[in-house]
Amino acid sequence: MRRRLLTVTGVVGLSIAVLAVAAARVSGQGGKPSSPPRMPDGHPDLQGTYDLATLTPLERPAGATAVLTADEAARLEAGVAARNEAGARPISGSRAAPPKGGDGSAGAAGNVGGYNNFWLDGGTSYTIVNGERRTSLVVDPPDGRVPAFTPAAQKRVAALQARPTSDATQSNDPGLETAPGAYDDPERRPLGERCLLGFGSTSGPPALPNYFYNNLHKIVQTPTAVMILNEMVHDARIVRMNAQHLPPTVRKWMGDSVGRWDGDTLVVDTTNFTEQTRFRGASRDLRVVERFTRVGPRTLLYRFTIEDAATWTRPWTGEFAWPATDELLYEYACHEANYALENVLRGARRREADAAASK
Amino acid sequence: MWSGVRGAVTVVVAAAVGVVIATVVMPVSGQAPAYRAARGADGRPDLNGIWQALNEANFDIQTHMARPAMALRTGPYGPLPAAPVLALGAVGAVPPGLGVVEGDEIPYRPEALATKQKNQENWLTSDPEIKCYLPGVPRATYLPHPFQVLQSASAIVMVYQYAGAVRDIYLKDPGPAPVDSWMGQSVGRWEGDTLVVDVTGFNDRTWFDRAGNFHSEALHVVERYTRTGPDVIAYEATIEDPKTFTRPWTMRMPLYRRQEANAQLMDFKCVEFVEELMYGQWRKTPVRD
Amino acid sequence: MRVTCATAAIGALLLGAASPAAAHHAFGGEFDANRPILLRGPIVKVEWVNPHTWIHIEVKKADGTTEVWMIEGGSPNSLLRRGVTRESLQIGTELVVDGYQARDYTLKRANGRNVTYPDGRKLFLGSSGTGAPSDGADPAAGRGAPR
Repeated sequence: MRRRLLTVTGVVGLSIAVLAVAAARVSGQGGKPSSPPRMPDGHPDLQGTYDLATLTPLERPAGATAVLTADEAARLEAGVAARNEAGARPISGSRAAPPKGGDGSAGAAGNVGGYNNFWLDGGTSYTIVNGERRTSLVVDPPDGRVPAFTPAAQKRVAALQARPTSDATQSNDPGLETAPGAYDDPERRPLGERCLLGFGSTSGPPALPNYFYNNLHKIVQTPTAVMILNEMVHDARIVRMNAQHLPPTVRKWMGDSVGRWDGDTLVVDTTNFTEQTRFRGASRDLRVVERFTRVGPRTLLYRFTIEDAATWTRPWTGEFAWPATDELLYEYACHEANYALENVLRGARRREADAAASK
Repeated sequence: MWSGVRGAVTVVVAAAVGVVIATVVMPVSGQAPAYRAARGADGRPDLNGIWQALNEANFDIQTHMARPAMALRTGPYGPLPAAPVLALGAVGAVPPGLGVVEGDEIPYRPEALATKQKNQENWLTSDPEIKCYLPGVPRATYLPHPFQVLQSASAIVMVYQYAGAVRDIYLKDPGPAPVDSWMGQSVGRWEGDTLVVDVTGFNDRTWFDRAGNFHSEALHVVERYTRTGPDVIAYEATIEDPKTFTRPWTMRMPLYRRQEANAQLMDFKCVEFVEELMYGQWRKTPVRD
Repeated sequence: MRVTCATAAIGALLLGAASPAAAHHAFGGEFDANRPILLRGPIVKVEWVNPHTWIHIEVKKADGTTEVWMIEGGSPNSLLRRGVTRESLQIGTELVVDGYQARDYTLKRANGRNVTYPDGRKLFLGSSGTGAPSDGADPAAGRGAPR
């Protein structure tokens, strides 16, 4: 009898609590239609999965206007769609091998043709901010270009590239990188190739589109921590709210992020980068300030300011829209099957061995 | 604003009433009160925080005495550390552990037991932890590293300091995993105050510990997370894998909250640390002693 | 839809700018433009890993013996979001691959410059192939958006 009373009372008490929570949530969402949905702590709910893929490059090409008209954008986007459609068309099943000497493909495809277009998911439209179809992520300087390197930075970057090496192999092979010793050690390879961080500052900060694939980012928000999960390379950046930065002796690959609210904008301040992270050649004194603002039921505005007096002559700022997606993030196991890094190193050793043998 | 405050006050009062009634009535009936954790934004027990296991399960999930090393060789009077680990001395020894397996028995099929023993003998070349590969589930839980739970009304994600492994706990079942993965596909649901996470879609590449305990791609793990105190989670993982085991079996252990005021995950990007091991032979000038 | 000269110029600049100079890595360091290959054979294994799926196919040599080649593809995750699963690339499915061999030519590895079915259709594009849904069906249909 007592146990039955306990059960009924417990259920009633719990039900009151549950209904009250539901009521509180509903009442919190009332008010102006433009007010974003809010968390129980009153701050805007920034959560969701966002696809950062866009056609808008970081820097504005010289001669381009800052904003595309709807027509211009539509035509360009149709061009991209046409390229994708062409890439999906069948080819001959009885085709021959590609040409010896390479197929002339440029950039990352490395004169060997890379792989098929169907693997890619680089974006289909230009980012829209304040109703404007932007031709660059960079908005300050107003020319949409990253400012110049400081003289010290120029020297530093040049020194990194000119590390002395005994590798005297000269090659006319357009597929090879020209920096001396580029293939000497795993540490000389890009961080993405080593599976340490996603290429293209995909996790950052700043979190940028990489124009290839896996541009999905998921935000989970709690009162004391906001997490930005980047699909590539399964990096979770945890922003400690209202906290102090780590001491300068502690460095992190994605820096140390602390956050606070500025009205309805989440401001994330990141410092304490490692020597190796080197965003676009930055030093370890890089500071990134990001601002996340919900501008629509399925859109965040992401704005970032880069400061590194040891690298750029002035701070610079960029912004772009983060549209929500209903898609899922999947596992990004990279190091677990990194044949590519092995292939690159072994290829260089084979080249050197053959060159030595033919002497 | 005011309606929100009123709503919040209602919540507090109702919860307090509920707690008072529960605590007043329950002891009279002779039962110890189940711990009632604070609720998070999702109305569920709040698992947010930084947690860590405090046991020796990662060395060997079964009860074991201390051992000279994880890689052994035959010696004149018993096993000795194998040559590659000899220089580590006592640092390379295996500490003793009371196992975390219910019944202390892992019900291997006979051919699978032979594979476990072979794994253990070949630990140095076969344990995926050595290469900083993603640790799988439940090993990620009891590695000697903290992990952080981020839980809101719409999402649960677990972030592990080890190798930056992450698990996005889907709160709606998307159906079978499209491909196999190292950390599996996790689907979470609540059973009362317990978070139940159903994990499928594993590949066969992870181990359960450094003792060679392993599984096939048919692995199915069901985890249960229950807060039993302000700073403790009672954790259970039931293993089902008919290709490897003759029946399901369960691991059980407490997880403790890291209570330091500045507790946070730090970087353990061990991928960098194993480059010499995995690729050193392909340097232009291999490193010599 | 006609593209004006100005739009085309902007487009060329923009689309060129949008391709990063360095992706995950440049293929040119990994594969040898002087060693083109054309391979044909059934799938024996698929490694769905990032950023490169590796498709292993069994190739018959001139002397009748077989050897296994590893073909480097792209990231699978975007494909998974389009409904591709392990069923989409089943063991035994015949593939035709053109590309270039690894610079370490002791390795039987090549980039999947073009990976098709024997009739020339490209993979993963929703039309019929071994184990794929019937022609015209969207492989993503029925999986739904979980949230």
